[in-house]
Amino acid sequence: MIIDNQTISSNPPNSLPIAPDQKSAFNFGIGLLGLFLWNLFFLNGPAMKKVWGALLNTVLISGLTVVLTLLLALAAAFSLHLLEVTGRQKGRFILLFALNLIRSVPQIIGVLLGYALLSFLITNGVVGNGIMAFVIMACSLSLFIFLEVTDLLLDRIAHFRKSDFYNALRVCGLSESRVVGFNILWNNSRIHILNKLLSVFGMALFLQCSTDFILSVGLSRDAEVTSLPLSLGGLLAHIDSKQDILAMGYTLTHPLYLPHLFLQHLQGLSAAFLIVFTLYSLYKIGNGFSERHRL
Amino acid sequence: MNTRSFSISVSTSHHTLVQVKDFQFPENRIVFLFGESGIGKSIVSKVVAGQLDPEGLDVTVNGETYADYLKKPVVRSGKERGFFVFQEPSSHLDPTLTLRTQLNEGSLKACPNDEDVLKQLFQSASQADLGNILDIYPKPFRPSGGEKQRLLLSMAMKKIRLYQSTPEWKEALFVFDEPTGSLDNIQRNRFLSLLFAAFRKKPFTLLFITHDYSLISEINANYSDLLKSVSFLEMARIHDTDSVISTFVPSDYTTWLDKLVPNTAENKAQTPLFRMEPSFKIFGRSLTLVGPDKTNPIPLVIHPGEMVYVKAGSGVGKTTLAKIILGLYAADQVSITLDGLTITEKKGRLFYEKEVWGKRAGMVFQHADEALDLKSTVFETFLGLIPGKIPPREEIKEYLAALFDSPIPDAFLNKKVQYLSGGQKQRLNLLRSFYGKPKLLILDEPLNGLDFESIRKVLDLLSKKQKEGCGLLLISHNEEIFDKAISADHLYYLK
Repeated sequence: MIIDNQTISSNPPNSLPIAPDQKSAFNFGIGLLGLFLWNLFFLNGPAMKKVWGALLNTVLISGLTVVLTLLLALAAAFSLHLLEVTGRQKGRFILLFALNLIRSVPQIIGVLLGYALLSFLITNGVVGNGIMAFVIMACSLSLFIFLEVTDLLLDRIAHFRKSDFYNALRVCGLSESRVVGFNILWNNSRIHILNKLLSVFGMALFLQCSTDFILSVGLSRDAEVTSLPLSLGGLLAHIDSKQDILAMGYTLTHPLYLPHLFLQHLQGLSAAFLIVFTLYSLYKIGNGFSERHRL
Repeated sequence: MNTRSFSISVSTSHHTLVQVKDFQFPENRIVFLFGESGIGKSIVSKVVAGQLDPEGLDVTVNGETYADYLKKPVVRSGKERGFFVFQEPSSHLDPTLTLRTQLNEGSLKACPNDEDVLKQLFQSASQADLGNILDIYPKPFRPSGGEKQRLLLSMAMKKIRLYQSTPEWKEALFVFDEPTGSLDNIQRNRFLSLLFAAFRKKPFTLLFITHDYSLISEINANYSDLLKSVSFLEMARIHDTDSVISTFVPSDYTTWLDKLVPNTAENKAQTPLFRMEPSFKIFGRSLTLVGPDKTNPIPLVIHPGEMVYVKAGSGVGKTTLAKIILGLYAADQVSITLDGLTITEKKGRLFYEKEVWGKRAGMVFQHADEALDLKSTVFETFLGLIPGKIPPREEIKEYLAALFDSPIPDAFLNKKVQYLSGGQKQRLNLLRSFYGKPKLLILDEPLNGLDFESIRKVLDLLSKKQKEGCGLLLISHNEEIFDKAISADHLYYLK
């Protein structure tokens, strides 16, 4: 039964004391802390530095990817919207064509191409493996992800344009950028966007780890995976970690070997755990967030 | 005479939705409950009738829990004998059954014949149209809001007849929540005539929730012999959550209405602010503006400081006309002059953006809930309206005082629009449109959801804006008030 709009929007009656996304984020923090302490006691110093350095690099690149994705998506959505409302159909068609070209490239292929470019630049000494490499990695990831966010932004704009909301604000004299940027996207869609960016973060992390691992088969003789900033995927491709992964497989047929994994094969196990656990936690946080905000 | 008394509180785990003490109404009378929209009239009436879905809510009635209240014989018998007409007709109808089936469903099956009721409520519809509505619904025929509402009223009238034909039933509660909201005045009056005729046969208790103060004039004019059986109440919010329901004196409204006179602009300019040729085309349809004689096409002309009223039947295209003027709909053919600008169907959106919107013309949209950004605060609603200017908070408070009780507390400016009552939203909607001082303002149903006090304030505001030289183009079904406030030579019909 419809009671009252105000009732529904202001007071979710069945809200839990701790939101499910907050609970998942808390569990994620506890999991990371537990692993860190275990590593502190049982993993040698250089390996520990590698594992947590790789996690930091991975998170930084994924974070940067999220920022670049949002910027690219905002630029694309604003441009498409403005071209549409101003009746510049030719410009809109060209932009849509360009965006659809990007859309037609499978994400993993696109990212691999980006990495190929990066390896070329490293091989030729144009960039080192410092900040520039980070930025290029994030750029190649965001270039093949941002259309998902663009679609969301365009959906939200279209949703509000269908009602009197958009026209009522425009005829009052509010500018297009304020109505779209502030009223539609910031005031009425930021929860949706944030939810999408959470999944973009997970996607960037997954793509990055996958690509880095694929690179372990060898991109070129001059630019090996070790030339790139070390990420969790790259760490898994490391020779030590490969042995650890083999040990995990060995445990499947020799269960008594299991306790050794947690002490003797901790580098590979930690890297694999961090990838899986982070992705799982992001999934749970995203779901909880959607549930809390009834998206 | 028995009187029913209620003290009702409805809250969620977070805050109180409505709290009203000492709500009294007499039995076997028709009780009109007025009040601003969104202050809890529907919730209170649903509690009284035992129709509120209590999920997630904490409801107390006269100090008892709602569950205990529902067990009372008077509530149970009221549900059996009475009828509740919900505000939104769609929520009442089952889209999987034909309307004829629904008219004879459950307890309605035992009700006496309804053909004369249907005939009276659908007087202008042909037999074939009525058949379409009753038998072909839900597909492919889709009844309009007004048709759905009349069907619900037919159901209610059937239930009233059942009550009247059952001698052992001495009392029954009927609740009609905004039953005439989608009806024009002719349809509304037909329904009232049915209702009062039934009441004369055997009285019943009816709680009639409405914003339509013109019902008072209709009752005074045609049912004055029943005035002793009619009560008028008004619900008002006295605090964020506390409400009070008190007697509304109908003469307050009629006296005010009698004194209402058209406001004529003192400095009537020779050059019109706005002129629109009488014929225009949109979506392949030709529409024509005619003068007060309802026959001769005449151009729509508005001078600075004038208020012009455009009337038309429901669905003819009043809002479409407004949207054409503002360039929101592209007409097939139109010719307009606005403050020295010539506008034809060839003008594009960029032109309106640069020259018209917020500068030469603006519009108050009909539904404040859609027209306002509900996630903004009251203060943010005024940001960006004048490019490059961030208005001081004190200035906004002063400005709001035109339609809100002053002094305006600082917390009110920080309040999210979604938490305002429907009437407050409508007043904010109006004030926002005037803020940029457009030369012409189109008002589409500006009195929607307002209580009497707010209606008076809005009329005063419109009069003030006229004196400041603002041209006003009005579209409203509230004919009683605007026929008085606008002179006959400023009246146009859209055909």
